Amino acid sequence: MSYMKKIFTHIAIVASIIFAFSAHSALADRAALAYEERLNTATLVVENLINRVQIFLATNPTPIQVRNETNALIELYFDYNIISRFAAGQAWRGASAQEKTAYRTAFREVLLSLAETQFEVFRNLEYTSIDSVAKGEKLVVVHGRIHDISGKIPDSIISWRLTTNPNRPIRIIDIEVENISMLITQQQENAAVIRQNGGDFTALITSLQTKAHAIKAKNTP
Amino acid sequence: MVRIFFFILAAVLTGCTMASPELMSDVRDPYESTNRKIFKANLMVDDYVLEPAAKGYRALPEGAQAGITNFAKWSTYPSTAVNSTLQGKFENAAVASIHFLVNGLTLGLADLTEDDVKVETEDFGQTMAVWNIPQGSYMMLPLLGPGTIRSHTGNLVDNFTNPLGFIGGQTVNGIRLAATPSNIIATRGNNYEHINNIKYNAIDLYAKTRSLYFQYRNGQIAALNSALPSDSDKAFSDFSIDEY
Repeated sequence: MSYMKKIFTHIAIVASIIFAFSAHSALADRAALAYEERLNTATLVVENLINRVQIFLATNPTPIQVRNETNALIELYFDYNIISRFAAGQAWRGASAQEKTAYRTAFREVLLSLAETQFEVFRNLEYTSIDSVAKGEKLVVVHGRIHDISGKIPDSIISWRLTTNPNRPIRIIDIEVENISMLITQQQENAAVIRQNGGDFTALITSLQTKAHAIKAKNTP
Repeated sequence: MVRIFFFILAAVLTGCTMASPELMSDVRDPYESTNRKIFKANLMVDDYVLEPAAKGYRALPEGAQAGITNFAKWSTYPSTAVNSTLQGKFENAAVASIHFLVNGLTLGLADLTEDDVKVETEDFGQTMAVWNIPQGSYMMLPLLGPGTIRSHTGNLVDNFTNPLGFIGGQTVNGIRLAATPSNIIATRGNNYEHINNIKYNAIDLYAKTRSLYFQYRNGQIAALNSALPSDSDKAFSDFSIDEY
């Protein structure tokens, strides 16, 4: 009887080891799959954005159409909440809800006004994905190369930083060209405006509103 | 050139005043108030000299523009060769030397090398970074523009140690004199729209220039040491995505 018990115990131990191994390997497979999926989806988001911009440019849009399309692109492909929050820097925490809303509106207005003047730049650019790399569990950086078909600008490496938080859509939060991050540049510029005005967050809002008006005025024929 | 640099540096250092911490918008820039004044003056130079010169450069036939750009690049190869050697990048040093010698047949105006391997420009500021010498404070110098104490010192050393300086002769002196202005005008002209876009659309141009300088420079230095995280990796690692 005790001999049988020993055999069963051994079988049980071996079975549990096999089960543990297979469970671990299944989990590892699933994690690897999820990891791959994150990278692939992030790459796809960027490529979809580029395709949409190229198709849109082919329609020879008017400035107002560019503005509307940029607005739609921000909604669909970018996480504007994170972008505006990051660009505000440390001053965000101290700002009132009203100031936050005013800042977000003014910042978006600057982005849209700039897009009206800058959108044509994309006409001559070709984009090729290179690879994508996970940065921790919530961010992915997609690297690509931009090639100017007019030959005026040398080929450059462009990096897209995307949030890949579970249960939330994958969105772009930053674009980096040759190591220069658009978002960090904006954040440092905003921080300087606030600091130069003695820590006053409303000074940044006023500066953004003034800039948006100035760009708009320059664009108006 | 060296005398001018020393004069500028001395003038700037004697006039430098530390900004009060509450007005200092970046810890790397303790002389912000002085730097802002110098930047304003540099901006006037850009308004009245560089921007019109860059406009003129862009009006030149493409061949002439390419010639100036090639010359500007070519004149940096001796320094690149020396600094690449000091950094242990012997292949880049060899490529820079070969490109310098081959293109020297046209005084650098034409790129005769049908070589896919590009020369990576290296300067003594980068060499010092490889040697782990701290970058020091950010300093805006009249005419010479933004930099840190390390990078400005690097420029000075590059000027002293440029192998062309040891050759002498009228042609070589002419090349050295023409190198800096042609480099500045070619860079301004080749990036005309981008620079103007920054210049006319920034809400604080001084701060934007400083940010761009540090990111670009840190990127160059990080490329020399792949173990270093990029500026944006550092910035985003401190930022809590979960707040949103």
